[in-house]
Amino acid sequence: MYGWIWRHLPGNAWIKALLSLALVLIVVYVLFQYVFPWAEPLLPFNDVTVDNQ
Amino acid sequence: MRVVVRTVSELCITVGALICLFVVYVLFWTGVRADGAMNHQIDVLHDQWSKQTAQPKSTAGSTAASSAAPKSSAPYAQGKPFAIMYIPRLGFTWNKPVLENTAVNTLKKGLGHYANTARLGQVGNFAVAGHRRTYGDPFVDFPKLRPGDAVVLTDGTTWFTYRIDKGPYKTVPTDIEVIDPVPRKSGYTRPGRYLTLTTCDPEWGHSHRLIVWAHLDSTQPVDEGKPAALRR
Repeated sequence: MYGWIWRHLPGNAWIKALLSLALVLIVVYVLFQYVFPWAEPLLPFNDVTVDNQ
Repeated sequence: MRVVVRTVSELCITVGALICLFVVYVLFWTGVRADGAMNHQIDVLHDQWSKQTAQPKSTAGSTAASSAAPKSSAPYAQGKPFAIMYIPRLGFTWNKPVLENTAVNTLKKGLGHYANTARLGQVGNFAVAGHRRTYGDPFVDFPKLRPGDAVVLTDGTTWFTYRIDKGPYKTVPTDIEVIDPVPRKSGYTRPGRYLTLTTCDPEWGHSHRLIVWAHLDSTQPVDEGKPAALRR
């Protein structure tokens, strides 16, 4: 999987490394901004009321 | 065969990294976001209040809880802040905004006032819920609360000092009567101006709830300065 991505990135090793870093940052951003906020309420830490609203 | 092994191990590494990132998000990032959101809510309140004080006020200050003049103001706006809570036991600088209703998104920005309970300082039970863990950990030290501790709130015009009478009391999530106007388990027998705080227990779980009950001890207008409980 990662090998496949690496082979398909353009440029020499340095550019590939930079591009992969950018890809990693994009993935982390999407996770923190969209995926985790969706997943977090499924965990029990939100249940602090006695009537569940 | 090699491709299969490689793919499986890459998947394992990816899932592991995902879990680590999620733990970082829950433990750290929600706190960062919530601290920012809570400070923003408090700023919004101070803005509102500074505009309000520009208008003339005619309410005479009363210092006794029994004679606190209840103003019939507009209902609290859903999901909007209307008060700031101070609990010296949880830290001298501990202060959190109180927002109307206890929806998941509201509790990310501060403490939540149960929408169907009494208004601040009124006869009845002013009930507030807050996170024990995650989203800034507002009630992480909840078990340290003891009878006699002060819970001070302000709505911009009045300081309300509540004193804790009972708690922390552990109960189950379906025990709705703890936020009744006169909660049976609290030991109160007559209607009065009460306050209930709820949070989850155990710290990272949701099997139980921790409750404390307090009664309104004194009120004073903000013009007279901070109440004794908040002075060092």
